[in-house]
Amino acid sequence: MKSPFRWMSPSAIYAKYSKDPGNMLVHTGVIGWALSSAAQIFAIAINDKISPKEKMFLIPQEIADAVVNCLSFYTFTNGIKFFGKKLTQTGKLRTTEVTKLLKDRGLILEKGAERVKGKVYAGDWNFNITKLADYKTHIEEAYKPFNNGVEVITGLVGSILSSNLITPVFRNHYAAYKQKELLKQSGGTKLAGEVKAPTAFTPQKTSFANYQKIVSSRVFPSGDMKI
Amino acid sequence: MVSVNFLSPIFNSCRRAYDRMPSVVVQKDKVLNKVAYIGRKWTSPQQRLIMGATAIFMQPYIDWKNKKVDEKTRKVSVARTCAKVIAGTATGFALRYAFIKGIKALSRPLSEVPKDAKPLAKKMMTLLTPKNLDEKDLDALQQYRNAMGTIWSLVAMVFTNFLIDAPLTKFLTNKFIAYQQKHEKGDVK
Repeated sequence: MKSPFRWMSPSAIYAKYSKDPGNMLVHTGVIGWALSSAAQIFAIAINDKISPKEKMFLIPQEIADAVVNCLSFYTFTNGIKFFGKKLTQTGKLRTTEVTKLLKDRGLILEKGAERVKGKVYAGDWNFNITKLADYKTHIEEAYKPFNNGVEVITGLVGSILSSNLITPVFRNHYAAYKQKELLKQSGGTKLAGEVKAPTAFTPQKTSFANYQKIVSSRVFPSGDMKI
Repeated sequence: MVSVNFLSPIFNSCRRAYDRMPSVVVQKDKVLNKVAYIGRKWTSPQQRLIMGATAIFMQPYIDWKNKKVDEKTRKVSVARTCAKVIAGTATGFALRYAFIKGIKALSRPLSEVPKDAKPLAKKMMTLLTPKNLDEKDLDALQQYRNAMGTIWSLVAMVFTNFLIDAPLTKFLTNKFIAYQQKHEKGDVK
């Protein structure tokens, strides 16, 4: 019987990631965020210094963080990485050395030159440098280091934007919405902005237990008042 | 099957626009060397460090500007985000770095194993050497070590996230909240 962990064997990892470091960063990044979020939810749940009301925001915030992070990693980060790879693979972004190699093969359309109908030139969407017949023997050595660098850089830029910009904005919106929902359901404590404190002009009858509950929830800035 | 033909005009115009874009030739050796160096050397520990460094500048600011929740929740959220980024980056970087180093020691190509090494030492040095290794391609071997080290560090993180990250985040969050409260009281005085 084949082992379910055969994808973790040295040969499988070598075959999958030795030529594609950018992909490895995206895949491991997604798993890393998911694991980290699980631990963070646990950290919030066991933190007795965070009030239940704040937990109602922080736990959905963390769940949203994990979901949005994984989704944006696979869509946005992968999209940017794909574009970076496309730029180098099509020869739209290339080094002087690669340009010379392509020019020798007549694959660069010179300025003012007539385009041969049906021929694919470097820089065209359908051009793929890695599919050239002598890629392995003559081009790979000049092409690969630059391509790998571009892939890592675009992967990193995509990761930074997705994890540190897109995710926090979306997770905060979702968590704020979820906190309101949960507070409505619990029916007890309301959000600070929604609470109307009883005043001399608008007296409200309330039990002592309810008063204590309101004070302990710190909805009103009671400071260090001891009862 | 659902037809996606209606998308082809959009795709074709994008493709034409891409074809018309001018090509860029990077000529400066300094830039080329830097890009190649990043591709060769930068891997998941560096990625984690850079992401942590950028996160500490960006995420607390975004949390603080989230006016959809009250100020107290925002303050707790900022404290927790800072704590989470610091704890996550520190443990994430350390684990990835250590595992990649460890994998390197256990994945030597056969040509690098000393001939006079004892059988057990020989076995350990090649324990994680891939069978399909191309010994001439040292870059591929380096990328493999990075990938293998990162994957194993993720396995370790299943435990360390709960044993180190979560308690450390809790500790730092409480410290930051206490700092905020002390600061607020100082303002009142």
